[in-house]
Amino acid sequence: MGGFFSVIWQNLPQLLYGAKLTLFFSVVVIIVATILGLIFALFKISHNPVFKKTGEVYVHIFRGLPLLVEIFYIYFALPMILPLHKWFDPYFTPIAGILALSLNEGAYITEIIRAGILSIGKGQTEAAYSIGMTKYQTMRYIILPQAFKRMIPPLVNQFIQTIKDTSLLSVISISELTRQGQIIISTTFASLQIWTAVAVIYLAMIFTLTGISGYLERRFKIDKR
Amino acid sequence: MINAKNVKKSFGKNLVLKGVSLSVKPKEVVVIMGASGSGKSTFLRCLNGLEKVYSGEIYINNVEITHNKTNLNLVRREVGMVFQHFNLFAHLSVLDNITIGPVKVLGKSKEEAENIAMNLLKKVGLEEKANNYPDELSGGQQQRVAIARALAMNPIVMLFDEPTSALDPEMVGEVLSVMRNLAKEGMTMIVVTHEMGFAREVGDRVVFMDDGQIVEEGSPQEIFTYPKQERTKAFISKIL
Ligand SMILES: Nc1ncnc2c1ncn2[C@@H]1O[C@H](COP(=O)(O)OP(=O)(O)O)[C@@H](O)[C@H]1O
Ligand SMILES: [Mg+2]
Repeated sequence: MGGFFSVIWQNLPQLLYGAKLTLFFSVVVIIVATILGLIFALFKISHNPVFKKTGEVYVHIFRGLPLLVEIFYIYFALPMILPLHKWFDPYFTPIAGILALSLNEGAYITEIIRAGILSIGKGQTEAAYSIGMTKYQTMRYIILPQAFKRMIPPLVNQFIQTIKDTSLLSVISISELTRQGQIIISTTFASLQIWTAVAVIYLAMIFTLTGISGYLERRFKIDKR
Repeated sequence: MINAKNVKKSFGKNLVLKGVSLSVKPKEVVVIMGASGSGKSTFLRCLNGLEKVYSGEIYINNVEITHNKTNLNLVRREVGMVFQHFNLFAHLSVLDNITIGPVKVLGKSKEEAENIAMNLLKKVGLEEKANNYPDELSGGQQQRVAIARALAMNPIVMLFDEPTSALDPEMVGEVLSVMRNLAKEGMTMIVVTHEMGFAREVGDRVVFMDDGQIVEEGSPQEIFTYPKQERTKAFISKIL
């Protein structure tokens, strides 16, 4: 039984390095995807037909394709048309990974933000207009603060999904947690121990996120106002 | 002060306002009555540009608000609006509901805006609710806050769209009394309401709308006691 833990213990630095990368990619992707989501959600609810259509097409494409295909497409296919790998050398791999994940998660977040904005009654907008607020002020001070509280639970869900999806970056040799697990197992053959350790580390990250979201929900008294 | 000329408005193929003309003098209180669906709300909403007119002209203080180039945000600062369902900002305290307009739109300092807000809350009898949130207030209280919120912009005219229709009967009085005081102070008001008592006492003129048109107008006395049009008679007999 001592052997069960000793292989984990010996490879812990490598696993934690992987976890650090997983965390890094998760945070960057969550930030980029949220910005994309906000922009395309505003596009989708805009009355300008060009913006509206752009938002719709974006969501259709990036929500419609398997994430793995998106990663392969950006990493392997796109450089055939655009020499991205040369422009971004030597950072093309992480950039491609971040891009693929962000575009994918961003499509889901677009829908979350859009639904949150639309869930705020029309009366709020009209009241804001009636005191002379501009469209921007209405969004910024009246609609988004209320919508944001309602968006917290589905957003946290999506962020959890994002953390898990970073494991797919292992296919383009980004040495995040899952990839580190594979590498360690290829030399130690300790499948049970290493995958157990990997699973525990993922769960720890996700529980932390759930805890933060619980705090946010309480802080914003989400079901109250 | 307000001059609407032959205002038409349609939703799709449905012509909802079929040429409404109304002019309102400073300090005048005009009461609009009419059956549900006759276009009263739509007309009020055209007056502050919440709805775009299909044709016709609306002047507020000699500014044509129906003109493409008019900045509606500037117009709306000067036209206060009170809604049937209050529409208070749900995430803001009573005080913040009232100060957000003066601070963000008029660029007043927070202190100045709060002073104005507290005075207005005193006026509508709700000083002690300044730090409460809308969902902690009764309907009547919420509507009084909504009136204070509109007044904080120092409007030249106040539009009321059935301000007491969503209230329990025992709360109607407190809102009407705030409106009565406002009229006494000389505020120009256009009020959609079916409160006959209020119309008689406060209204300078009653306008009766039916099917997207003004079919009759006159003093409250004339309209309630000697209605000329059949449609007005039928309506009055129903709400009496
Ligand atoms: N946003 C809208 N879209 C389509 N039809 C509308 C809209 N608002 C009002 N209407 C229609 O316009 C007519 C007049 O409505 P409204 O002005 O609300 O009447 P009132 O306030 O007198 O009850 C009604 O037939 C209503 O169905
Ligand atoms: Mg109405």
